[in-house]
Amino acid sequence: MNSAASVRKLTVRHRRTTALDAVDLAFGTGVHGLLGPNGAGKTSLIRVLATVAPPTSGRVELLGGDVSAPAHRTAVRRRLGYLPQEFGYYPGFTVREFVAYVAWLKEMPRAAASAAVEGAVARVGLTDRIDAKIRTLSGGMVRRVGIAQAIVNDPDLLLLDEPTAGLDPEQRVDFRALLRELGRDATVIVSTHLVEDVAAACTEVTLIGAGRVAYRGTPHALAALGEEAGAEDFGDNPIERGYAVALRRHRSGAAPTTSGWSVTR
Amino acid sequence: MTTNLLLYARSRALPVTVGVLIAAAPATAWFADWLVSGSGLGPRARQPLVVLAPLLVSAAIGASLYTHSEELDRTAVRPWWPRRACQLLLLTAVAAGLLAMAVPGESQVYGAYAMARNVLGSVGVTALAAALIGARLSWLPMLVHTGAVYFTARAEPGGPGAVWAWSVQPGPQRAAWWTAAALFAAGTCLYALRGARPEGPGSRR
Repeated sequence: MNSAASVRKLTVRHRRTTALDAVDLAFGTGVHGLLGPNGAGKTSLIRVLATVAPPTSGRVELLGGDVSAPAHRTAVRRRLGYLPQEFGYYPGFTVREFVAYVAWLKEMPRAAASAAVEGAVARVGLTDRIDAKIRTLSGGMVRRVGIAQAIVNDPDLLLLDEPTAGLDPEQRVDFRALLRELGRDATVIVSTHLVEDVAAACTEVTLIGAGRVAYRGTPHALAALGEEAGAEDFGDNPIERGYAVALRRHRSGAAPTTSGWSVTR
Repeated sequence: MTTNLLLYARSRALPVTVGVLIAAAPATAWFADWLVSGSGLGPRARQPLVVLAPLLVSAAIGASLYTHSEELDRTAVRPWWPRRACQLLLLTAVAAGLLAMAVPGESQVYGAYAMARNVLGSVGVTALAAALIGARLSWLPMLVHTGAVYFTARAEPGGPGAVWAWSVQPGPQRAAWWTAAALFAAGTCLYALRGARPEGPGSRR
């Protein structure tokens, strides 16, 4: 299987709680939506894939190698983009300086970096605010700065933890278009609570419930699951119904509902 | 490279920190002069200054160990420990050098030796605190230690008290030097390896 990111028997524990319980997953080129209730383990999965948190046990392979090897981890970090749920920034930084700082963290060649910074800021539509201090921007704009820093190195593996939180509807539409564009060449994993984002931008959905994979398939298949189960009592659209049905089945102890475990290429 | 180093320096508030260290030196020199000429105790009168000036500069250095973008910094390609060690060693060297010059003459009696030793010890305690409790409160343990020592320990040179009350010892006390050096080594190593304890947004584990 040719996947940019895969985990086998991945377990993450925080003190006594188990965030992820022996999860097997593989992600190939395309946009992958990560859905699930709060506390299901989405952020834990993204943090492990971003190499910022070590797994308690299990194997993590990114971009063709095991990241427990320091040399490969270093190579992966150059090709990785990561937007944490909350990212801090030095309050004195302008948008340009902050994105340049991240480009420096990723060891981008200096000659290419300044053009890459401007390019990334342009892709999130903030060119006119590039020299404004981040602390003067609105919440949605700060979120877009976060997306810009994540894509500055043109990553092969892009991890976004709730990127659309705080974006207004128009910005979200633009963002989904950006996601689809990025997903043509890269592996993009997006954790979100907004099923509309999944329906509109993702090629595959992974639903996580209580530290395990509850469902995997295309957004279309998830919507169909909701329709066929007749879950009219929940949700305003087919994907929300599918989400509810898959989670209920998962909680009642059924094996993961899957349609197409193969990696979307 | 220079632009990037500048970004790094600003992200750690280094310009302000270095400014504080530079400003502390003439202020210390002025106070030392004032204490020596006003008290009639001679160079011994510099003792409070030799204790308090290092406390202040170590607090400033401790504040510069705070990282705003902790979560993103973890994705850095290069390991952090050389940068962290460099930052701490350079700031300590600047602080110790400048403050030692601010108390000239009679170096054995609360002069340059004791000042340099106390800068090392204070920065060591502060760096340990940054790694263990976070950079924002990293000044607190050294303040508590200074308060405890200053009000309880007698500044008798030598003896077992020189280990615990290292910061109030005159210059050449070997035990006090060993304590300060050990604290500095421990603080530098722990901070370089682990960094400041995360306390910003997204620092849950």
